[in-house]
Amino acid sequence: MVWEGSSAKGRGAITAASSGAFAGLAYSEPARIGAPDGETSPEELVAAAHAACFAMSLAAELTRAKAPPERLTVRAEVVIDEVESGDHRIVSSALTARARARIGEDAFRAAVEAADAGCPVSALIRGTATVSVDAELQEV
Amino acid sequence: MATERRAEVTWSGDLLEGKGTIESVGSGAFGPLPVSWKARAEEQGADTSPEELIAAAHAACFSMALSGGLARAGHTAEALSTTATLTFVPGTGITKSVLDVQGDVPGMDEAAFREAAEAAKENCPVSQALKGNVELELSARLL
Repeated sequence: MVWEGSSAKGRGAITAASSGAFAGLAYSEPARIGAPDGETSPEELVAAAHAACFAMSLAAELTRAKAPPERLTVRAEVVIDEVESGDHRIVSSALTARARARIGEDAFRAAVEAADAGCPVSALIRGTATVSVDAELQEV
Repeated sequence: MATERRAEVTWSGDLLEGKGTIESVGSGAFGPLPVSWKARAEEQGADTSPEELIAAAHAACFSMALSGGLARAGHTAEALSTTATLTFVPGTGITKSVLDVQGDVPGMDEAAFREAAEAAKENCPVSQALKGNVELELSARLL
């Protein structure tokens, strides 16, 4: 990625160097803290990573329980806030998952718990912030 | 003030053969983007992965923090070019993030630049979230 200028007035552009899946995404400090106005931010990228990571972990756990999902929808909401030191920190990531799979409620709960325990991005975030999971099984 | 950022992902099928999509993000800046286990752990194709997204977040966060540090030291970067490379070990997790930054900062000496880069590596919010679980490395130089 490339950054030009000071933090308050400068601008950055983010590119996925390995896959090329995205390129030249703009970001800036005002958009990071205030209204995004079409610009992404480090926290939004972390939210995308966390949602994708949890979806894969839950797919793996449901498959292990012989119920590969027809469809999972996972949303992650990452919160960054000013802490006592005056610095900004990621303080939480809240996952909301909706799953269509042929599985009983108890086995589903166990799969959700295992997915959260096994997702590497959950493990990262949990080191310094809160991770919560709201999961619901939907009829197939 | 707390700021919320969100993303939504869908997945169909098992882990190894299933397909995922980062459908949308709150800002609308990107998506839909395909994600897959293959791109994550086997061979890098055109699909993205959670680790690539974390790498993008880390490089972006670090660069913004460094530009702030440079400003506090009385300097403005003409350009900072940063690459973050994340290591993912299946079964273990994310083990390392290596930041590599090249700066074009008029009037600044190499030692001061490295010091500012080291501070940004320690303090940017994504570094703070990674620290403890993930080894952080930095290589910084002026152009």
